[in-house]
Amino acid sequence: MSDALLFAPEIALIATGLLLFFCSVFETSYRTAWLLALLGGALSLAAVFWTFGSTGEPFAPGIYRVDFFSQFAKMALALGYLLVVAISYSPQTLNKSAWLEFPMLLLFATLGTMMMVSATELLTLYIAMELAAYPLYIAVALHRNPESSGESSTKYMLQGMITSAISLYGMSFLYGVFGSTYFSEFARQLPAAAGQPLLWVGLVLLLAGFLFKLGSFPFHFWAPDTYQTAPHEVVTYLATVSKVAAIALLCRLVALMGDAQMPEVLMWMSIAAMTLGNFAALVQKDFKRLLGYSAVAHAGYILLGIQTGAILGFSSALFYALGYLIMSFACFLVVCEVGRNSDSVSVDSLKGLHQRSPLLAATLMVGLFGLIGLPPTVGFIGKWFLFSAALEQGQFGLVLVAAINSVVALYYYLLVLRAAYLEDAADATAVEIGPFVRLTALASMAIVVVLGIFPGPFWAMAERAARALR
Amino acid sequence: MSILSYILLVPIITLGILLLLPANAVRAIRWLCALSGLAACALSLELFFLYDSAAGTVQFEEIIPWVQGVGINYHVGVDGFSTVLILLNSLVYFTGVLTMWDLEKRVKEYFVFMVLLVIGVYGVFMSLDLFFFFFFYEIAVVPMYPLILIWGSGNKDYAAMKLMVFLLAGSALLFPGLLAIYHEAGLHSFDMVALAAHSFDPEFQVFCYPFIYLGFGVLAGMFPFHSWSPTGHVAAPAAVSMLHAGVLMKLGAFGVLAVGMRLLPEGAVFWAPTFSVLAAIGIIYGAFVAMRQSDFKFVIGFSSVSHMGVVLLGLNLAALNKAGADALNGAVFQMFAHGIMTALFFSTVGFIYDRAHSKTLADFGGLGSQMPRAVSIFIIAGLCGAGLPGLASFWPELLVFLAALNTYPIIGVAIIGGLVLTAIYILRVFALAFYGPPNPRWDGLREQDMRGFQLLPRVLLVAVLFFFGFYPNAMLNTINQTTVALLGRF
Repeated sequence: MSDALLFAPEIALIATGLLLFFCSVFETSYRTAWLLALLGGALSLAAVFWTFGSTGEPFAPGIYRVDFFSQFAKMALALGYLLVVAISYSPQTLNKSAWLEFPMLLLFATLGTMMMVSATELLTLYIAMELAAYPLYIAVALHRNPESSGESSTKYMLQGMITSAISLYGMSFLYGVFGSTYFSEFARQLPAAAGQPLLWVGLVLLLAGFLFKLGSFPFHFWAPDTYQTAPHEVVTYLATVSKVAAIALLCRLVALMGDAQMPEVLMWMSIAAMTLGNFAALVQKDFKRLLGYSAVAHAGYILLGIQTGAILGFSSALFYALGYLIMSFACFLVVCEVGRNSDSVSVDSLKGLHQRSPLLAATLMVGLFGLIGLPPTVGFIGKWFLFSAALEQGQFGLVLVAAINSVVALYYYLLVLRAAYLEDAADATAVEIGPFVRLTALASMAIVVVLGIFPGPFWAMAERAARALR
Repeated sequence: MSILSYILLVPIITLGILLLLPANAVRAIRWLCALSGLAACALSLELFFLYDSAAGTVQFEEIIPWVQGVGINYHVGVDGFSTVLILLNSLVYFTGVLTMWDLEKRVKEYFVFMVLLVIGVYGVFMSLDLFFFFFFYEIAVVPMYPLILIWGSGNKDYAAMKLMVFLLAGSALLFPGLLAIYHEAGLHSFDMVALAAHSFDPEFQVFCYPFIYLGFGVLAGMFPFHSWSPTGHVAAPAAVSMLHAGVLMKLGAFGVLAVGMRLLPEGAVFWAPTFSVLAAIGIIYGAFVAMRQSDFKFVIGFSSVSHMGVVLLGLNLAALNKAGADALNGAVFQMFAHGIMTALFFSTVGFIYDRAHSKTLADFGGLGSQMPRAVSIFIIAGLCGAGLPGLASFWPELLVFLAALNTYPIIGVAIIGGLVLTAIYILRVFALAFYGPPNPRWDGLREQDMRGFQLLPRVLLVAVLFFFGFYPNAMLNTINQTTVALLGRF
C-alpha cells in the first residue's frame, strides 16, 4: 500500500469537513449536514479498517507514523465520533443558530485526535493537540442558554489553554535536552540523557496537556463543571473520544521514555485521581456532574495500567479505553435522551425510567454495571487486566487501593440505578426515542456485553497495538 | 461438550429466551423457568450418578482457550464437592421457581435476574479457571441488588445496599489476592489445576491467604462480617432468600475451599487456629442472637450465620488435619444439608407471609391449628436445624463436632453448647408461633393452607432432607475420596 494512502482515514474526515463547511455557508438543512457527518465518520472508520495492519509514514520520515497502535486508537476514535453523531440528530440543548456548525466542529476535533495518536514529532503533536482542542472550546460554549454554560466553558477554555502552554513549555525543555523534536531521536539519546533533571521536568510539564484531556488529577477541575452545564452531545464527545486520544498519547509517551522515573509520578496521580473522583462523586445530585467525577476516577484506573510502563499495562489501558468509550457512551446516550428538553439531568429526573422507557433503563443499567466493573460487562474484564498489569509489577498495595475505590464507587452508581429501576416517575410520560437511537442503544449494550464475555480478539488487538509502541 | 457445559447452558439458553419473550407473557415465562429448573435437576442428578466417586479426581473436564496471551481458559470440571453442590443449586433453582409461581409484579425482570444468579452459581461450582471462577462469582452476587430492591419488603433499601457493599468489599480483597496468586506462580495461566500443582512460597501463602479467606468468607457469613446476611434475608422475597441462604452463601465457603485451601495449603494451616476461633464464635453468637428475634426471617437469618459457622469451622479444622476426613466431609455435607434446609425454611415462611402479611412470631400464636400443613413443613426444617437424627443436618454437625473435640476440646465443648442454644431458639419459634393459643385473626387462613401444586417444592425438599438423613452414605461416598485427596496437601 502506498504510504500516502495510509492517510486515508484523515483524508475522509478532511473531505467531509470541507463539505460541511459549505453546508453551513449555504445554510442547508441540519438533516443534510448530519447525514454528511455520519457518512464521513463511516468512511473514515472503513478507511481505518482498510489500513489496519499496514505500517508506514505518509509524510517526511519521522513525523507521522501509521502503525497498528495508531490504527487501533483511530478505530476507537472513529467509532466514538460515529456514535456521538448518531445520537445528535436533534441536539436540543445546543443553540439553534449553531446547529449547522456543530457536526463540523466534532469532525475537526476528531481529525485532531487522530493526528495526535499518529504524531511522532513534538510540533506535529502540538498542532494536532490544538486542532483537537479549539473546536471543543467553541462547542462547549454553544449552549442554547448562554448563562448556563458561560462559567464552565470559560473554565474549560482557560484551563485548556494554560495546560497547553505548560505542555509547550515542557516541549521546549525536551528540545533543550535532545536538540531535536523527533521521538526517534529521543529514543536514541535517552540512555545518555536519562539522569538529567531537565529531562524529567520537561516530561512532567508535557504531561499536563494530556492529563487535562484525560480529566485526571491535578487538571480535573473543568470536568465536573463542564460535564454538568455543557450541551449533552458535546459532553458525550468529551467523555468518550477525547479520553481515548489522551490515553493513547500517554501510552506513547510513557513507552517512549522507558524508565525515566515518570511512572512513579503517574502512580501517585492515579491514586489521587481515583480517590478524589470517587469520593467527590458520592455526594453529587446532578447525574452529569456525577459522571464527571466518575470520569476523573476512571482516569485514575487507566493511569494504573499506564504507570506500569510495561506491555501488559499499555495493552490493558488501550483495551479499557475501548471499553470505557462504549460504557460511558451508553450512560450519556441516556442523558441525551432523558434530558432532551432540559438543561441539566439530575439523578432524581431519572426516577421511574423503567416505566418511561425500558430500553433506556436497560442501557443505563448495562453502562453503569460496566463503570462499576461487574461481569458480564467489559468493565469487569477491563479492570481485571488493569489490576493484573499493576500486580505484574508487584504493586499489591496499589491494586488494593484501586479495588477499595471501586467499592466506594459502587455506592453512587447504585443510587442512580435505584432511581431508574425502583422509584416511580413524577411524570410518567414515555420518553420518545427514534429508531436510530434505539439501534444505537442496542448496539452499545451489545458491544459492552460481547466485549465482556468474548474479550479474546480485542485483547489480542490491544496487545499487538501495545507491542507496536516499542 | 461435557455434561457440565450442558448444565451451564440450560440457564443461559433460558435467559436468552426470557429476554426475547414479551413482558406480559407471564404464563410462558413461568413454565419456561420451571422446565429449565427441571432440566437442570435432571442433568445434575445424571452428573451425580455418573461421577466416579471411587476415583475422587476432577472429572468431565473441558477446556476452551478464551483469552490467549494471558492464559485465561474456559476450563470446567467437577470433583466430589462440586458434584453435590451443583445438585444443590439445581434443587434450589427448581423449587425456587415453583415457590414464586404466584408472583405478579414485574415477572419477566424477576426471572431474568434469578436465572442470571443461577448461571453465576453453576459457573463458580464448575470453574477450574481462576478468572472464570471470579467472573461467575460476581455474576452471582450482582442480581441480589435488584432482586431485593424491587421485590423485597421492609427495610429493603438499606438491606440491598448493605449487602452489595459488604460483598463487593469482599471482592475488593479477592481482586489483588487472586491476581497475586497468578503472578506469584509465574505460570502465565489462571488454570486452577496447574496452580494447585505449583508450590507457592510459604511466606507468600501466609500473606495472601487472609485476603482469599476474608474475601470469600464475607459471602459465607463469617463472624464478624456477617451482619449483611440476616438483614438481606429478611428483606428479600422468598425465593431470593432461598437462593441467597441456600446456595449463594455456599459460594463463599466453596471459594475458601477451592481457592484458599487448595492453592495455598500452608497459608490455610497457618491461619486455621485464628479462623477456627472466629467460626466457633460465629456458631454461638448466631445462636444467641437468634434466640432474641421476634421476626421469623431474622431467626432463620441468624441461624444461617450459626450454621455456616459450622461449615467454616469444619474447613479450618480440616486444614489442621488432626481428625482425619471428618471435618472436611462434615463441612461439605453441611453446605448441602444447610442449603436444602434453609431453602425449605424460606420457602415456607414466604408462603405464610404471602397469606398473612406478617412475619412477627408473637402475632401468630397458634398457627399450628390454622395452617397445619405449612406449619408441619416448617417444623421439619426446624428440627433439621436443631440437628435431629434422621434429618440431613444431623450427620455433618456430628462429624464437625467430633473433629472439633479431637482438635480443640474447648471449642468442641463450646459449640456443643451452641447446639443446645439452637434447640432453644427453634423450640421458642414453635412455642410462640405455632402451639400457643390460636389467634382468631388468622382463622381465615384455614382455607388457604398449602395444597396440591404448592406442596410440590416443599415436599421435594423435605424428601431430600429425609433421604440424606437416613442414608448419609449417598453423600459421604461421593465426597470422601475428594476429601482424602485434598487432605493429602496438608
